[in-house]
Amino acid sequence: MLNWEKLQQLNFTDANARERAFGLVDKGSFTEFVSPRDKMSSPHLPVLGEAIEFDDGIVTGLGLLGSRPVFVISQEGKFIGGAIGEVGGAKMVKTIKLALQTYERVKKITPASYEKRLPAVIISFETGGVRLHEANAGLLAHAEVMDQIQDARGKIPIIAVIGSKVGCFGGMGFVAAATDIIVMSENGRLGLTGPEVIEQEMGKDEFDAANKALVFRTTGGKHKYIMQDCNFLVEDSVRAFRTQLKEIMNIPFPEIEKYRRIGSLQLVEEQLELVKSAVTIGPKDAQDMWKYYGNDNPQALADISPKEFLATVKRRERVI
Amino acid sequence: MGTEITKVWDSLKRDTQERLNKVKHLVKEGKVVAAEDTVALLEGVIKPGDKVNLEGNNQKQADFLAECLCKVDSNKVHDLHMVQSVLALKSHLDVFEKGIAKKLDYSFSGPQAGRLAEFVRDGKLELGAIHTYLELFGRYYADLIPRVALVVGFEADKEGNLYTGFNTEDTPVIVEATKFKQGIVIAQVNKIVDKVPRVDIPGDWVDFVIESPKPFYIEPLFTRDPALITDTQVLMAMMAIKGIYGEYEVQSMNHGIGFFTAAIELLLPTYGEELGLKGKTCSYFCLNPHPTLIPAIEKGWVKSIHCFGGELGMEEYVKARSDIFFVGPDGSLRSNRAYCQAAGHYAMDMFIGGTLQIDKYGNSSTATANRIAGFGGAPNMGCDAKGRRHSSEAWLKCGEEYGIQGDLVGKMPRGKKLVVQMQETFKEKLEPAFVEELDAEQLQKNAGLDLPPVMIYSDDLTHIITEEGIAYIHKCADMKEKMAAIRAVAGYTKIGLQADEQETKVLRQKGIVKTPADLEIDITRANRSLLAAKNIKELVEWSGGLYSPPAKFRNW
Repeated sequence: MLNWEKLQQLNFTDANARERAFGLVDKGSFTEFVSPRDKMSSPHLPVLGEAIEFDDGIVTGLGLLGSRPVFVISQEGKFIGGAIGEVGGAKMVKTIKLALQTYERVKKITPASYEKRLPAVIISFETGGVRLHEANAGLLAHAEVMDQIQDARGKIPIIAVIGSKVGCFGGMGFVAAATDIIVMSENGRLGLTGPEVIEQEMGKDEFDAANKALVFRTTGGKHKYIMQDCNFLVEDSVRAFRTQLKEIMNIPFPEIEKYRRIGSLQLVEEQLELVKSAVTIGPKDAQDMWKYYGNDNPQALADISPKEFLATVKRRERVI
Repeated sequence: MGTEITKVWDSLKRDTQERLNKVKHLVKEGKVVAAEDTVALLEGVIKPGDKVNLEGNNQKQADFLAECLCKVDSNKVHDLHMVQSVLALKSHLDVFEKGIAKKLDYSFSGPQAGRLAEFVRDGKLELGAIHTYLELFGRYYADLIPRVALVVGFEADKEGNLYTGFNTEDTPVIVEATKFKQGIVIAQVNKIVDKVPRVDIPGDWVDFVIESPKPFYIEPLFTRDPALITDTQVLMAMMAIKGIYGEYEVQSMNHGIGFFTAAIELLLPTYGEELGLKGKTCSYFCLNPHPTLIPAIEKGWVKSIHCFGGELGMEEYVKARSDIFFVGPDGSLRSNRAYCQAAGHYAMDMFIGGTLQIDKYGNSSTATANRIAGFGGAPNMGCDAKGRRHSSEAWLKCGEEYGIQGDLVGKMPRGKKLVVQMQETFKEKLEPAFVEELDAEQLQKNAGLDLPPVMIYSDDLTHIITEEGIAYIHKCADMKEKMAAIRAVAGYTKIGLQADEQETKVLRQKGIVKTPADLEIDITRANRSLLAAKNIKELVEWSGGLYSPPAKFRNW
């Protein structure tokens, strides 16, 4: 059995999917859905002679944050880089569905005070996107998850948590962008095309994937925070992420919509403005944008701790 | 009636003078030659058939001189016999392709190992021998004396005084062999200055200095990112610390490169301290300045470290820790590969490092079937120094345990060096690490070598650590027992599956094989949370901001 107290102190980067799922909710409150004991694994991998995992690399379950039921989806980067296949994708979809059903029930049973018991969904991403071994099923899973997120819109908050080793790339980068709120650590990375793929397609001069400093200042949490691609930046510990999630639970639900980055005409216009400004500013490096938004010494910002960073950083101002 | 014999006893000196006269016009001021005149300089001072040393090792490289050597006219300069530590750059083989060089004696080749094997097979290159560093350095003073040495430093003054600083490495041993046997020494430096920070090589041992168009290439080879250490490596490091470091109270040692030893270094301040081993082990090291050793140094484990070479990013940290490192009056580290290898061979009680393959007899190698990788310095450390006469507790204990000691020296007490190999039973891509026959033997056939390139021979190896346990193979009474001990820790490899349960039980009772349970290690604790630093950033924090990791290791 996992020791919840110890998990709180663990670096979030080091925590595996199950440790994250257990540790992000209140002590002793987590129940796993379709656990490894159920041996729900990929039917496609054995055909290709590949190893399987009994949870297909996705941990799903239900826990509590205060009075709020929280549905957790947690991806394991150590299994095929966290790539999403048919079974793992179905677990994600079904978990969001359950959250929505719970929402309907809570609303029905306690109509006056349902907001106190409003379910939430937390997705702890660690993935490069589609599992190529089962590409069609994996792609379909992406679409279905997106669909569920859309169904949840205006009903329950969906929160992305990104701070694990693999980061969040590929199709799952789109999925993360479609959530309501994104929480990252500076070790978290978020993007569409991963650094190695950019290097492979466009050459080392375009993007040197071995240059870790470059990779992190372009896709890492600090950059995403400055650009407003993520909403909150926290320290690299399970406790820090959990504390942030608890605070998010206190945000009145109607406010949640303001944290979104996509999903309305207004937001599309904001994004288009950003694209336009990229042409006029002509940044050669991510840190040129840091400078543009008023951070005179970007490298100093990269060097300091998240706490100091949050105290001094200047972010892109959102128009809405 | 005797004929009068006239014999010239200073022909080398005269020949050198003749060569120097030929290139006089290229010298600008003092000993300075312009970068664009380098090819002409080499054509002037090198004669066909010369033994030429091209400096370079697994860290710094005389890359500009190597490129210039490829550009000389092969009608003027040909059939060279290259004697060099490392074959690492493309240009190191291009000189053979272009017919400038013919024969090679060397120690280690990294990225070029595959191409080297092709060259040998196609007859483009005549391979003398593959050496260990000390062995090759030794031959620089016997039958492989360089006629011309092409070396590299950070700075030089116009009189030729060289500053090789942090990365002094092989330069002294090469220059001394060359210059004092009347040879010619040419140095490329990043900058020609009025006054060097300190003189590592005196100016009168150097004939020409050249400011290269760009700084010499250097590789941060000894940096291991703690973020990449696995839980299994943590378990094996716990076994090493409890079952070997603590068991023998080993005070002096060399750590090979790799994640296993990085894990050990990062467990000293946590697990090691918990076992009460601080002060009892790990006081003296022969080691490059491994960043992962910073937490143990900061916690006061280490008394002294002498370095083969430098490590990028560790400059300021080393400078600020002159009680621990060998630091010059100018404040920067002085490394010296020859001395450090000698210390590693004679003054260290233990060598511990990873390997790629171990055969059923306990011979190990990092060679693969189509790459002639060579040895570097590991075998100098990873063997019992037969000339050793001083004693230490660890050395004596290992000797007492030596199963065949009586057959070798009767009742005479004699110590034995601890030579430890760490290897998970399966490598990447599920390749077994324990094999019937080493790939080195296939390589011997493919490349027509005299011997299979074995890194550490079974008679020198004392301990094998896998995730299954430790085999104390030196305790075995004969090869039959040794092979059983190896099988016992070889896990689910073909070799391991041949282990006999009853036989293993007996070996465990005798203390020849110890599992984590036998060592009373709680395997549920074997995870990354035990590491004193979990990523590069935490190493920087441990160093108080003195360690400045190269960009490829920074995630910020």
